[in-house]
Amino acid sequence: MTGPTPGSLPLRAAEATAFLYPFLDAEEWDQDSLLADLAASARAKARESASLRRSTLQASAPLLEAAATEMAHRLAAGGRIFTFGNGGSSTDATTLADLFASPPPAAPHAAKLTTRALPAWSLTADQAVLTALGNDVGFELVFARQLIARAKPGDIAIAMSTSGNSKDLAAAFREARRRSMYTIGFAGYDGGEFATSEDVDVCFVVRSQSVHRVQESQALLGYHLWAAVHEHLAVAGEH
Amino acid sequence: MSAQRAVPVAYPFLNPAGDSGLGEELSADLAAASLTLARRFAAGATLWCLAPSWEPHARHVAVEFVHPVIVGKKALPAVALTGPNLVSTVRVSAQPGDVVIAVASADDPAVRSVMRRAPAWGITTLWIGSGARPAAGAADHVLWLDDPDPRIPATGGFVLLYHLLWELTHVCFEHPGLLTSPAPQCADEVCITCSDEGRLGEVIGIERGGQALVRTAAGEESVATVLVELVRPGDLLLIHAGMAISKVDEEAGR
Repeated sequence: MTGPTPGSLPLRAAEATAFLYPFLDAEEWDQDSLLADLAASARAKARESASLRRSTLQASAPLLEAAATEMAHRLAAGGRIFTFGNGGSSTDATTLADLFASPPPAAPHAAKLTTRALPAWSLTADQAVLTALGNDVGFELVFARQLIARAKPGDIAIAMSTSGNSKDLAAAFREARRRSMYTIGFAGYDGGEFATSEDVDVCFVVRSQSVHRVQESQALLGYHLWAAVHEHLAVAGEH
Repeated sequence: MSAQRAVPVAYPFLNPAGDSGLGEELSADLAAASLTLARRFAAGATLWCLAPSWEPHARHVAVEFVHPVIVGKKALPAVALTGPNLVSTVRVSAQPGDVVIAVASADDPAVRSVMRRAPAWGITTLWIGSGARPAAGAADHVLWLDDPDPRIPATGGFVLLYHLLWELTHVCFEHPGLLTSPAPQCADEVCITCSDEGRLGEVIGIERGGQALVRTAAGEESVATVLVELVRPGDLLLIHAGMAISKVDEEAGR
């Protein structure tokens, strides 16, 4: 654990009062102390995560609005969404594609949303395609080659990353740019290469050094992007 | 902020403005689950990850443990299990002492079936989810977000829980003295836990003479089935002294 150890107090209390409880051996106290430490650490990290989610949403609001407007415009015109990423980020990108591709659930307090599912796919979903491309043309091109095969002008590319520097994602964005796709990058730290790349239309930066905290905020950003896109589509549908 | 207009205020992951972090109970549950998981890993366990409705979560949990984001942390055996025949996939994968983690709602039929069978397979279970809770004791550790909003799985709430599980499990590895699991509880010849009240077994196959081959936490054994109705492979039986004394109802608790 980094930083102060919030559980140190129970340990000292345990030592101070141990003589009162000779039937409890030292090991039991140690375990209780560790569990108290772990729980305090979990609460501290969750607070840190919530605070980062708050500041990220606030800082990203104008970009989120811009991205949702353009996405809704393209989707209404027949555009489609392709998401991709590496490792844990690939799973978060898949969750986002699944969210777009599912009909909006009827939540009791749901705002007015369109009820249509939207065409969205994760480019890590097919192991045959991934391994064929990785083996034959190199891992750097596993996403770019899929865009060559599938993407049209009017489509949307969304890459999730914590570093913003992955070569396979940069290659996919280059290809997406060539194909007149709209490109959205999610990154952590200072945004990495996504932040300055001419191939990236909108870059959401979660300003944290922790991969885990970055991914938690990115998931929520993705959710808000989905909600905002549906809101724009609903408004567009009224006119 | 217009981007937040569509977002209900009820849940912290949708609207973190009101998020005060984890409650005492959930943080204590996470702590206990992490220590259990670290102890099982230290004893050689594999972590099997299930999320039938949200498979990316199963893969995310597995990659966290197999390929840690923090350089120098130990790579641990974790595998995402997916596909249509999930119960049989887990049955053939999990060995006694292993751990299953499910990210699923309380009514997921495959996960419920796995959790019911866990004592017969000798595995430890963790269950992450949201909304209505599973029945008490449905898993060894239940890590639950009580908000009923069906969109929770896509907001990062579960991601936070399994990230914390990974982080706390690695904190436990810094305390090797606490990683030895407590000694088995049934050293005596007569033990209320595993003898008088019976052990759970899963039928593997039917044998001649009113016997069935069953899988229990202790291995495979042949038991007499004269006291129960017709048994089929996959049935769960309560076993006492080499005898199946009753069938365990599909929807009964553990």
